[in-house]
Amino acid sequence: MIDTPPGDAIVAHDLTKVYGSVDHVDRQILTAMNGEAPRDGPALAKRLALSPSTVTQHLTRLGRSMAVDHVEMKVPSGGVFGLLGPNGAGKTTIIKLLTGLSDITDGTATVAGYDVQRYPMQVKQRIGWVAAEVILDDDFSAWENLWLQAKFQRLADWKPRAEELLKYFGLGDRRKDKVGTYSTGMRKKLEIALALLHQPSVIFMDEPTIGLDPSTRRMLWEFITGVNQEFGTTILLTSHYIEEADALCDHISIIDHGRFVASGTPSELKSRVHEDFVELETVETVTEAQLRAIPGVTEVRTQGKTWILRVSSAEEVLPRLFAHLRTDEIKRINVEKPSLETVFLDLTGRKIDDVGGEVFDYRKFYSTVRRARQ
Amino acid sequence: MTGETRYVTLPSPTASGSRLGVPQGTQFGGLYAREILRTFRNPWVLVITLVQPFMWLAFFGSSFANVPLAELEALLHIKIQGYLQFLLPGTLSTSMLSIGMFGSMSTIQDKRFGYMKRILLTPTSKATVFLAKALGSATRGLVQIPVMVVAALVFGVRFYGDPIMWAGWVLGLTLLGFGFSCLFLAVTASSTDWQTPGVISNFITMPLMFASNALFPAANFPKWMQYIAAWNPVSYSALFGRGIIVQGVADWTYLGYIAIFAALMMVAGTLVAARYLKVE
Repeated sequence: MIDTPPGDAIVAHDLTKVYGSVDHVDRQILTAMNGEAPRDGPALAKRLALSPSTVTQHLTRLGRSMAVDHVEMKVPSGGVFGLLGPNGAGKTTIIKLLTGLSDITDGTATVAGYDVQRYPMQVKQRIGWVAAEVILDDDFSAWENLWLQAKFQRLADWKPRAEELLKYFGLGDRRKDKVGTYSTGMRKKLEIALALLHQPSVIFMDEPTIGLDPSTRRMLWEFITGVNQEFGTTILLTSHYIEEADALCDHISIIDHGRFVASGTPSELKSRVHEDFVELETVETVTEAQLRAIPGVTEVRTQGKTWILRVSSAEEVLPRLFAHLRTDEIKRINVEKPSLETVFLDLTGRKIDDVGGEVFDYRKFYSTVRRARQ
Repeated sequence: MTGETRYVTLPSPTASGSRLGVPQGTQFGGLYAREILRTFRNPWVLVITLVQPFMWLAFFGSSFANVPLAELEALLHIKIQGYLQFLLPGTLSTSMLSIGMFGSMSTIQDKRFGYMKRILLTPTSKATVFLAKALGSATRGLVQIPVMVVAALVFGVRFYGDPIMWAGWVLGLTLLGFGFSCLFLAVTASSTDWQTPGVISNFITMPLMFASNALFPAANFPKWMQYIAAWNPVSYSALFGRGIIVQGVADWTYLGYIAIFAALMMVAGTLVAARYLKVE
């Protein structure tokens, strides 16, 4: 194995990405903000000796286009680190910054012991990567895909390891078939095998199970845990599936709008919220005041047409709720017990799967891609 | 993290080049092999690559069939056996103009399907990707040479020149194709649109094809077109090949000009690609 650094596999400090061009004033403001929220425009203007309107203008621009906003992260070697957040939160961008695929606007990142900006090639020799959309050469067989990967990674004696990996992932007997004929699950497994071929110390997995059916997803979870435990590889994965992050990660950072809103082990995060949430859909005549009046309801928010009530205990509040409202006024009701979902709800006021606009249909994407290649 | 770690011991692949600059030879080999294998596994690409210049010979080559040879020789300013003999080196030269389109299209496909990310997340530089694509395109273009020569023989064309001259001629065509592929790939480096290569192809091909010695001698052109033809590498390649196969005389300075053109395009293209090659 190429030297695995002791200690931390990934360290990022003030990691920031702004889309579009970044000018001198932008950079000054980013540095001066130093990770604080861009709220205090007048104070910043004073500190930088700029006119308040200039600062406001730049802050608006930065605020709107800040894909990753002063992120701090530290992943110990051998850990499984999860980035959990809705679509468009900045998870994939963080992976692109840490792998050197995208330029860092501000801050520093060290991966596998090397500074990403100064030694991108050294980093790339030590990392593996599994894409959200499976990326393989469909015109080539599994073995040929491994061969190409070995060429790209400059591996001299890769064949025994490739054999072992194919066996490990149960692809040995299909190794000569074109990858285009594989099922999505098999393609995903081959992609993980490709990522492991050069024995990387860190693997980045972007939404590893998106678009897969539940049983394939569970099978992949076992492989991911296996890769971490048996190969000792550090894993950074992104997900917007709460159960996935909960099942796989030993550390999770919840990300929203390019910032980490909370970090910790899954149980630490869950213990942050003790209250239950009740999602409620009612007829339009029901008012916020009516809901607030119910004893035990500590907060009322709306998300679209749905009320979200924070309650001390769902068991106590639900009977009162039914007593306050007529049954024909309630269209739908759903209780969230403390979970990573309620943590996200608590921190952002939204549910993970409800935000981020339209969800990308990967199944459709795969079939289109496959048809286009034929 | 896990308390008891049981690492599976797999045979370690030996990685080379852990110094600061990572050598690019192996990556180039892999990328080039991928380009070539993809071409030869897709029969249609091959068929079209072969049929297109053949049709040029058949249709365009026959356009002066009813002109008496003496008149044709006066018009073309050269002693020839027929227009086809005049045309063959020119057609091969002009077909090198558009072969960059293949490399460009395969690059755009890699960007759109994400394979470019797979490549660039390994210690492979953008310049290596660029050079492999350019050489892959040029190689694809070379397939046309034997086919055209055989086709010309079938049409009854006689050839002159010795093997060394012929090797020089093929080398010249290779360099010309490589140079134009570099130009093509550099122009489309930041594009992800399927339509771009076609548009650029027309844009590059049309003027350079007609403002050259490839199809007609530049002596018949107006002054401004002669000026373009004098700087056009397609002219050098056509004149070089024509000298060899029509007269059995090789003017090696033409090959030198083509080599300079290819070297310039390679350097400029590599610089552009290293800076502007888009990942997705």
